[in-house]
Amino acid sequence: MADLEIKDLHVRTEEREILRGVDLEINRGEIHALMGPNGSGKSTLANTLLGHPSYEITSGSIVFKGQDITESEPHERAKAGLFLAFQYPVSIPGVSVANFLRMAINAKRDEPIQVKEFRTQLQHAIELLDVDKAFTSRHLNDGFSGGEKKRAEILQMAMLAPDIAILDETDSGLDIDALRTVAEGVQRLHDEQGLGALIITHYQRILHYVKPQFVHILMDGRIVLEGGVELVERLEREGYDQIRQEFGGQGELAA
Amino acid sequence: MSAGNGAVPISPDGAVRLEGGVEVKAGRHREASLYHALAGAGAGDGRTLAQLREAALKVYERSELPVWRRSGFWSTSLQSLDLDALETSVREEGVPEVVRRTLPDGPHAGRIVQSAGAVVQVELDRALAARGVILCSLEQAFEQHGELVSEWYCKRLPIDRHKLEAANAAFWTGGAFLHVPAGVVVEEPFEIVYAIDRAGVAQYGRTLVLGGPTSDFRVHEYDLAEDFGDETPPAPGPGQSLHAGAFELYLQDGARCRLAQLQDWGSGEVFDCSTRFVGVGRDAYCHWLPALLGGHLVRQHLELAVMEKGGDMAFRGLFFAEEHEHLDVFAVDLHETGPSGGDVHWRGAATGESRASFEGLIQIDPGAQQTHTYLQIHSMMLSPKARIDAIPSVLVAADDVSASHGGTVGELDETAIFYMQSRGLDRAAAVRVIVEGFFEPLVAELGDEALEQLVRGRVAEKLAAAREDIEAYATSR
Repeated sequence: MADLEIKDLHVRTEEREILRGVDLEINRGEIHALMGPNGSGKSTLANTLLGHPSYEITSGSIVFKGQDITESEPHERAKAGLFLAFQYPVSIPGVSVANFLRMAINAKRDEPIQVKEFRTQLQHAIELLDVDKAFTSRHLNDGFSGGEKKRAEILQMAMLAPDIAILDETDSGLDIDALRTVAEGVQRLHDEQGLGALIITHYQRILHYVKPQFVHILMDGRIVLEGGVELVERLEREGYDQIRQEFGGQGELAA
Repeated sequence: MSAGNGAVPISPDGAVRLEGGVEVKAGRHREASLYHALAGAGAGDGRTLAQLREAALKVYERSELPVWRRSGFWSTSLQSLDLDALETSVREEGVPEVVRRTLPDGPHAGRIVQSAGAVVQVELDRALAARGVILCSLEQAFEQHGELVSEWYCKRLPIDRHKLEAANAAFWTGGAFLHVPAGVVVEEPFEIVYAIDRAGVAQYGRTLVLGGPTSDFRVHEYDLAEDFGDETPPAPGPGQSLHAGAFELYLQDGARCRLAQLQDWGSGEVFDCSTRFVGVGRDAYCHWLPALLGGHLVRQHLELAVMEKGGDMAFRGLFFAEEHEHLDVFAVDLHETGPSGGDVHWRGAATGESRASFEGLIQIDPGAQQTHTYLQIHSMMLSPKARIDAIPSVLVAADDVSASHGGTVGELDETAIFYMQSRGLDRAAAVRVIVEGFFEPLVAELGDEALEQLVRGRVAEKLAAAREDIEAYATSR
């Protein structure tokens, strides 16, 4: 059984059905890329996996490390070892990055983390992500540039050491240096801690720095194509339209 | 120090009359303003204390308990107060438990505690006393330092606007007087405490603080009451208490003061109707931060005035109303001369069925050129039945100035809550982070660790108490 098993997941918002039967399995230590055009349901899947209240699961299930978490509260999923790097990280005025990290770490533990241990971990993460130490005393995401927000997401990921992380278009809006830092951070967490990752993107460029073993193409709420890294190259050559022509009809038939 | 000779006369129709008969027509902002800044000199015009008490008594006898009405918003009425059932006891023994429990243990330059109508404790660092610092009851100050006190007493405070103001001026007992003489710099705070430990008390608090030229000091005022509303069965007799306060602080040339106030009247039926005036002299500076954290019905008229050239101020404040509390704050950022600076920043939250109104007025008098000031008010409603009205207004009668205001009205941001939940914080913890973060910029400005912890602790307690309410609000939307 895979660490994260998504089975026949159907999800709707108040307006419409967005995911129409998604199946996906992810293990620790695996890097998956989920690609797809705008509106295909990528962010819906990311948010649903963490239990966002605006998305309703109408059928299907999410099982994480053997536990059915389909109905779990978001914080319970996080404590179990799931992590979501947000496409649009939210600013939390009045709370420093370091204090927030301490709260989040303590939420997962019975005993509060020792000051020294926390400092050591933080120092390690800071070096990994090439951020300034002063960064951690700033209020979380408050007045951060786009690149800083994404670095802060990866910093949190490094500190919280999840089993599986979902990165929702973490690469969008990043300049090449920030992109490289973020991507290398993910790769190192994978190499050092055995992180499993689902990298959601509609560009190929982040995949020049993180090498996925599995690639999935999402269209109209359904995974239409799966394969290895060669799929990325094909996509680069042909674009989504070609694939849509090939597989688009299926969605219509099923609906 | 001149006594506000540049004040603007405001006619009943709300128009402003400038020198030379020029009339500035009332704008919409003007109409929105219910309260007025204190204009001109106070009642202290050379009359003796006895004469002032007598004049106030006459006003008291002929006036009704006050009501302030703003159509479409709210009414602040003190008419449910049973004044005849309350007593001003001047025989009090010992420092009330609520004071022992609440005040930080940390070092302080001096402390004066009034319980009901009597001063029950006065402490002053001996070295400071030797340097001429005075901290004593205002009664004692009139006896021993009559000349100094008379010069400043009621310099800007009136005694006749309403019955409770008159009652204070007529009946006050005990009181606090602090004088920091010229050039004296004191690191630790002076603590001025007004405490009410039971129902049935009418406390007429009266404070006068003088900062001599280039003095530099801190004042922490505590307004505290025992939670006598929680007694079951209810204590016999009237369930109400009253604090009617009058506070004045004057800073002479180049003086600097950090003034903080922690007000928490607890769960009892405590009414608080107070006026506070801070006057900033030439090149002087005041940082004023009231934390209004509870009271059955609280009405505060707060005025921070730059009275002479070069004066500067930071006027901060926070409030958190809960349950059925009613809070009505009128804060004035007054500039009587220029150049001068002002920076007003308030934050408030409300839970339960509480009502809070914050009215902030920037008033720049004629001739107060080169004044630069800004007013911002941020509010956060945490329950469907709570209400906060934030009403900024600007009255400018000089042309070479900058004055503006801004603000936000917020509710709990579900996106932020989900964000924090996705990091493992449960919903209650996430809400707490948001609300504490909302207040934190001001709490951190208190600049006193013990006081900051007190305020943070009270905010956390209020959030814990309102947990179900906040949950219900979230799921109702």
